[in-house]
Amino acid sequence: MSANSEARHAIDAVVRVVVLPKHLHARPAGQLAQLAARHPSTAIELVAGQRRANARSVLAVMGLGAVTGTEVLVSAAGPGAAVAVYEICRILAAPETED
Amino acid sequence: MVGIVLISHSSGLAAGAAELVGQIAAGARVVPAGGTDDGRLGTSTELIAAAIAAADTGDGVLLVPDMGSSVLSALALLADLDPESSGKRVRLADAPFVEGAVAAAVAASGGLDLTAVASAAEEARDVRKL
Repeated sequence: MSANSEARHAIDAVVRVVVLPKHLHARPAGQLAQLAARHPSTAIELVAGQRRANARSVLAVMGLGAVTGTEVLVSAAGPGAAVAVYEICRILAAPETED
Repeated sequence: MVGIVLISHSSGLAAGAAELVGQIAAGARVVPAGGTDDGRLGTSTELIAAAIAAADTGDGVLLVPDMGSSVLSALALLADLDPESSGKRVRLADAPFVEGAVAAAVAASGGLDLTAVASAAEEARDVRKL
């Protein structure tokens, strides 16, 4: 599945699941929220277990308490949804950072 | 980009919070204003005013105070600044210090405007940690 081809076809709602290779720490949470802020017309949500977070809220994303191995469902609806989900999954799937 | 000023009784607390916020919200413009002019615990309207000037790039500045006289000093300064007539837009956030600063800086670095950045800070009151 190519996120780029999805983007070209302007899909409006996209869902993907990522298994975290690291805890969802403060720094990646900040990166997610910064990215979500660049998609103001797109609703982006993360679900981990029983918890949900608007990707725009760095504190809510941290509050997911998502640890290594957690399945995180990423969904986006609106313009550029495929690109947003692709970028968010790339941050979530990136290897461990130093924090 | 909206600038963020962190006002604390302690210069160490303000500086440490600014350092942490800078790690989480890369690219944000965060200026600490902690302690008195001579480095004691307390607040200084002069230091806060200088921090506002340093944080301001024309898109407005959000003040995030810790508590007590930080809030009072910020309010006194806002009254003196008269933001409408001076053309500056400076707002005071009613938010937890560290969490509000992080949320505000992430929003600011994402390019949101002052109203949205202030809302992000104030939403921090309601976000559970556990």
